[in-house]
Amino acid sequence: MNIIRKVTLEGVNTRSSITRTIHLYAPCCKNQAGRYRITPRKDLPLTYEMANPPHQIAHRKAWNSWNTSNIDGGIRPAQTAIEDVFIRKFVTGTWHNLFVSEVIIKRQHNIIRIAGIIRRGIGARKMYFLIGYTEELLSFWLQCPIKLELQTVADKRDVVFKYI
Amino acid sequence: MLNSQLFLKRYNSLHITPKINSFIQRLFSAEAEEKIEIPKRIHRGPTDILRALEATISRDPTAAHYKYHDDPYLIPMSNMGKRTFAMAQESGRKAAHWIRKEHADLFNHREADPVIKAFLPVVSFNEQSDITEDNLKQVIDDVLVSEAQLAYKLLKDKGVDISEETRQALLELLCYTNDTDILSEEFIEERWFRQTTKSKEKQRKIWKDNSLAEEIFISIENPTAETYSAMIQGMCKYFQVDKAWHLYEESQEKGLILTSDAYSSLLRVVNFLKESFEMKWALTEELLQKMNEAKVKPNLTTLNSALHSVSTMGGGKNQKDLALKVLKEFKGLGIEPSLGSWYYILITFCKERGPISTVLHDIMPEIENKEHHCLDLSDTYFFVTAMDICRSQLNDVELGRRVHKLLHFGNNYNLIGDSYKESIYYRHYFGLMMNNMPFEEFMQNIYNMLVPNIYVPEPGVMAEVLKQVDLNGSVEYVAQLWSDMIIFDHINRENLIESILNILDSNKPEAESNLIEVFSCIAWDLFKRLEDEGDNRFNKLRLTGDQLGKVMILLLWNKDFQKACLIFDKLDQEQHTIVGVPKIEALSMFIDSCIENKMPSRAIACLQYCSDSGFPEVEELGVKIHKSLTLDENNLAKLTKIAGNLS
Repeated sequence: MNIIRKVTLEGVNTRSSITRTIHLYAPCCKNQAGRYRITPRKDLPLTYEMANPPHQIAHRKAWNSWNTSNIDGGIRPAQTAIEDVFIRKFVTGTWHNLFVSEVIIKRQHNIIRIAGIIRRGIGARKMYFLIGYTEELLSFWLQCPIKLELQTVADKRDVVFKYI
Repeated sequence: MLNSQLFLKRYNSLHITPKINSFIQRLFSAEAEEKIEIPKRIHRGPTDILRALEATISRDPTAAHYKYHDDPYLIPMSNMGKRTFAMAQESGRKAAHWIRKEHADLFNHREADPVIKAFLPVVSFNEQSDITEDNLKQVIDDVLVSEAQLAYKLLKDKGVDISEETRQALLELLCYTNDTDILSEEFIEERWFRQTTKSKEKQRKIWKDNSLAEEIFISIENPTAETYSAMIQGMCKYFQVDKAWHLYEESQEKGLILTSDAYSSLLRVVNFLKESFEMKWALTEELLQKMNEAKVKPNLTTLNSALHSVSTMGGGKNQKDLALKVLKEFKGLGIEPSLGSWYYILITFCKERGPISTVLHDIMPEIENKEHHCLDLSDTYFFVTAMDICRSQLNDVELGRRVHKLLHFGNNYNLIGDSYKESIYYRHYFGLMMNNMPFEEFMQNIYNMLVPNIYVPEPGVMAEVLKQVDLNGSVEYVAQLWSDMIIFDHINRENLIESILNILDSNKPEAESNLIEVFSCIAWDLFKRLEDEGDNRFNKLRLTGDQLGKVMILLLWNKDFQKACLIFDKLDQEQHTIVGVPKIEALSMFIDSCIENKMPSRAIACLQYCSDSGFPEVEELGVKIHKSLTLDENNLAKLTKIAGNLS
């Protein structure tokens, strides 16, 4: 990483050279994705999932999408990724303000199972309506059976692992 | 084999005597000569493994049905919950269907390969659409009635010729559905919870006259036997019997040979065509005769239709003989009766106001230890009727157990019908077991097993359970039953509250047992729950004075003087709205504990209440208060005022 390369194209006017520069400062090498910054008041709630940075995947936490698209010989890697984004957007939008965990998408054979933790913000009857609606509409869209596997918690503080 | 060879080698290397060696070799060689038979290949279907796996799982009574989400918040407890949750989910699915219908153009992508039609939007036509006969055929195959009607009209407007075949298929569809859209098979919950209207209500003419079906029938120039059969079947199904009979006669004049199903549907409505028992039976015989003459082979539907008619024909003793005769005749033809046929036999033999018949004993060996499939619509009536007869007619536990075992044999549970029949079945099963089993055994083996996931007792059944508790004095179950009653939403039933209080009141536990505490908890909970219920609730249950008195006694057994005071305050303050007064035992007990707790003013207030309610024991109680408590002047004056001169 920490190399400066200066490429000078031969035969071209030496003054107009193409340069590729890489920043060398130590802060630039820091990984930032999937990490949360400590707040001054230390009151940012994190779930267990959020509290563990990406390098803990497969150690302390697991993946959010389970499929075989990206292993050797797997099919539809791009479509799977796009569909997963769609499912996440659809589910968080349909279950507005109810999901308190990540949306876990598991694919087995032709079935997609969508799991997650929701809070008991609405009555059980309305939840069943949304379950039926989500399963059916997503299966029309993705054209395979969809199953929702939900767990409820009484309060969203129940899933808070720590405050930073 | 490998092991033995190894063993031999080692044995040889040890140089043992050749005699033993040869013996061992012979021993193993005999084994080697054994012929290996490769079994014949069994052809398996694509879902056979899944079915085999499924067969290893039976219904788990400790968990809710798998259609509900496995989460404490989402598991239904009462009958009401079971119904609304399942229906809400179905309603969500319907919303998704509606969206797909409204935005059909957005759902035309083909993700699945091969294409799965169920995921694609339903076809729809309008005046502009380019429509062919194939479209019509397609919607007929998909049982889309209104689409088929529209397609037919459009085709006719365009002057397209429709082949005879398609026309016949359309006619059959319309006759089967009576020109109305039927509930899609996809919505199983609605089918499961739909109240099957009582058969009596259903038996009136609902056939739509001058509908498209009749129009098509008229437009066919040379109606064939199939055309006539379809029309007759449709009209019989929807009780347009006169026209059906008319068409039958017309077809007979033309010498057409109807299908066996057409004859069956006519047999089913014999009761509507003729008046008296003799004429009805004569017509039945005539129709069967005609079938024989036309060389139409009867089938199971014919048998069940004939039995259906016989069972509703009236005619006393004859009826039973005829039913058996019909059954025998069809058995001779090699037609095995289905559960539906046995159901008709049962209702023929076991009338509500008739002698008790043990025909079920004779039927059971025929059907026991067999897996039954749904062959006829009436098959789903068998189990509920059989259990009803076991309970209300025969009161035979052993037979009830056999029926129950048959229900759980293989996939027979599919024949339970719908939610309504299921709950009636369990109501009878529950009642039968409760009355004929030691109560403890019943609670452990039946109640705890079935409630609440498989069956939620209705208030009436709960009342019977409480009655049994009372009879057996098994008060230790009251706490469990009370918490169940709260969950099942039974606490607004006056008779249940009354009997719970009676049971608790009349079974005083021994002084040291912890039941005293339990009782007082139940009583307090009961009082609290009924109090806290909002006044605006329709039909709010109010405890009577007597019931409040019982609550007070139960609390005082446990020395909950504070709570008892609250009850008394309620009695005292709402004297005019509360119906009835407590028994004097309750009041005198309250005064006793007032004395114990040194509360003279409360004791006197209670005495005042006794006096207001006109109990003759006032004086006696007054003396008691006077003796046991040191009263100040004020109280003494009050006491004298209520109970007269005490000295």
